[in-house]
This record gives sequence, C-alpha cells and structure tokens, in this order.
Amino acid sequence: MTNLIACHGCDLLVDVADLQHGERAYCPRCGHFLTRYRHDMMNRVLAFSIAAIILMLVSLSYPFLSFASSGLESVMTLRAAPGALWDYGMHALALMVAAFILLIPAFILLLLVAISVPMLMGVPAPWLSASTRLLFELETWAMVEVFIIGVIVSLVKIAAMATVVLGISFWAYAAFTICFTLAMTTLDRYQCWEMIEALENAQSPEAAR
Amino acid sequence: MTTADTAASRGLAVCHTCCKLVPAAEHECPRCGSAVHLRTTNSLQRTLSLLITASILFIPANVYPIMITEALGTEDISTIIGGVVLLIKLGSIPVALVIFIASVIVPLAKLAAMYYLVWSVSNLPHRGHRPRTKLYLAAEFIGKWSMIDVFVVAILVALVHLGGLIVIQPGIAAYSFAGVVLITMVAAENFDPRLMWDQLDKNNDSET
Repeated sequence: MTNLIACHGCDLLVDVADLQHGERAYCPRCGHFLTRYRHDMMNRVLAFSIAAIILMLVSLSYPFLSFASSGLESVMTLRAAPGALWDYGMHALALMVAAFILLIPAFILLLLVAISVPMLMGVPAPWLSASTRLLFELETWAMVEVFIIGVIVSLVKIAAMATVVLGISFWAYAAFTICFTLAMTTLDRYQCWEMIEALENAQSPEAAR
Repeated sequence: MTTADTAASRGLAVCHTCCKLVPAAEHECPRCGSAVHLRTTNSLQRTLSLLITASILFIPANVYPIMITEALGTEDISTIIGGVVLLIKLGSIPVALVIFIASVIVPLAKLAAMYYLVWSVSNLPHRGHRPRTKLYLAAEFIGKWSMIDVFVVAILVALVHLGGLIVIQPGIAAYSFAGVVLITMVAAENFDPRLMWDQLDKNNDSET
C-alpha cells in the first residue's frame, strides 16, 4: 500500500504509508517537513483546544495589566482594549488587535472543537471539510505568541514611567498561548484530511473513488 | 541523473489546503473544494509587486514617528530606531535587542531574502536549491514576529490613557510598519518554491 504526498517545497512525491506513531516525514530532496503521524492526534487536538478555550475565557474575565502613575490608576482588560482603541479613533489598530489576538484565535478554537468532536466520534459531519479548510486558511493570521512578547516589551517600556501590575488575565493569556500553539502544531494537515476522507468514504461507499 | 519523480511529472497538482493529489487539468480539489493549480498563478509577478509595495512602505515606517507620548503638556515623539535607543538608555539591552531584531533586522532580511529568491528562480537554475528552500521557509516563518512593535504600541495606547495627564498615540509609522509586515507575509505566501526546483528538473530533462 502506498500513500503519496507531494512536497510543498519542491513537488517531489514521497511515500508516507509506513509512518509509525510519533514519526515525522521530511522531504529527502529539499528537507521540507511533510507530515507527522500520531494515532491519537485528534484526542490531543481536542484536549489542547478545550484547555485553550477555558484559559481564554479566564483571560477575558480578569484585568490584564494595571498601571498607576501620580495617584491615577488605569486598568486594561483584553475584552475592552480593542473597544478603547476604537473609541480613541484608532480604528485600524483596534481592528488589527481584535482580529489577530482575539477573534481569529477564538474562531480557530471553535473550528478545532467543531471538527475534532465528530472525527473522534466517527461521524462524518457535513461541516467537516468546510470548517477544516477555513481553519487552515486562518492559521497564518493568529498572532497570539507574537502578542505575548509584545506585552513583555511594553512592560519594560512603561516600567520607567509608572508602576505596572500584571493581572490574572496576563498569566491566563500566556498559558492560553502555549495551549493554542500546541493545538495548532499537533493538528497535522495531511493526516487530518486523510482522516476526513476516510470518514466520508466509510459513510458513503458508493461515492468512494 | 534521471528526472525526479515529482507530482508535476506525473501530471498531478497538489492541493495547498488538504495535500490531495489532483489531476492537473482539474481546477477544484474534490476533497476540500479549494482552487487547485499546478503552480501558484503568476507567483513571481505577484510576489515581486507585493515586495515593491512593502519596500516603499518601509520608508515612512522608519522616517515617521511610531508613537507619540503626551505627558503634562510635553510631547515626546519616538521612531522605531528611537524606541530601540530609548530601551538601551533604560538599561534593558535584551529587550532593545528583541525590538531591534524584530523591527529592523527581520523586515530588512525578509525583504532581501524574498527579492533574492524571486531573482534566483530564473538566474540560478543549477545550484543551491536546498539552501534556498530553507531560506524561503525561514523567511516565511519569521515574518509575523515583526508585529511585536505594532502590538507594543497598541498595548501602550490602550493602557496609558490617563485623562489629560498622559496620553500615548500611535504615529503614521505604526500603520506603515503593520503594512510592511502584513504585505510581506502575503508576498511569502504567493512565492512558490517549487518554481526553483522546476528549473532543475527541466535541466535534467534536457540532459538525458
């Protein structure tokens, strides 16, 4: 039995049928990563996604940073930050922040749950392929890990100006970043689509090609 | 040397969304419904035009202020480089280094690498395919890390807004710089590294 995959880096055809649990395949010609097989991939994806969703809810509910200077205090929450930027008239900045660090990651997590639950139950849900496609198209535009580094840099910058206190939300967001990244790196594009195709073919054998 | 066994040599196109191998004559992937092309359409033209746009935006991103701090009637304007200098003065060398790498080195290196890759497709058909593919993957990977400075501005603007006392505002450079980063990300997505390998395969074909 052969399972051919074409390298996205150089178009070479590589047979990846014999991968054992945990093994990765790289292109022998250009060295590009091809795929990684794990028999429990979707379990892991669902676990990381649920953890990330819980952590995101926590980080939306508590203060992110608070800042005090000359007797005045200001508290920033993640939930209100894009709205505040919008109110100050910085619409483009507000939209970028809202999209890259909250909306796109949240939407990706919902899609991850929406595909991993039916795949684990063995149900070929009608939204499987559309959701998975959207998920992979949005993947590049989630910038949670970049944002967390940005937060650390801003802390250093204002530490000279005022006292800054990190809220629970910051720690929750940092943990969310880790879970989100793990969920996305665990989800292997090739294996995921092979599973979807197998599910859909099992349901309607007459449609199998 | 015989011709490499590529998908294209067997008349197959690979779907970029789901990795399915599809006959090159088809235009829609039967598995996921995405558009399928043998190679990214007009890859070099698209990449090059986006690179030029990003290069032009890179000028205002560095000339104009990225952040304006108004504190008690005084106005403090800082550019990207000014921000790095300020961090060095504050004694935070590691953080200054992070910003310098993310905001100056990475965008410049990425632009240079992408220009080189586009040029190399037709000018270096015989050697260096593997390192150039690695260079492309590195350029694609590091791109979004340049957004750090934009997020720093966003956080400071949202956080430091104490009535009329201290207000921080984003400058023109914040938007131009975000433009540079996002446009180079799209440019990297449009570049098709397989075009480099096609040249190699074509040469091997003509030799045998």
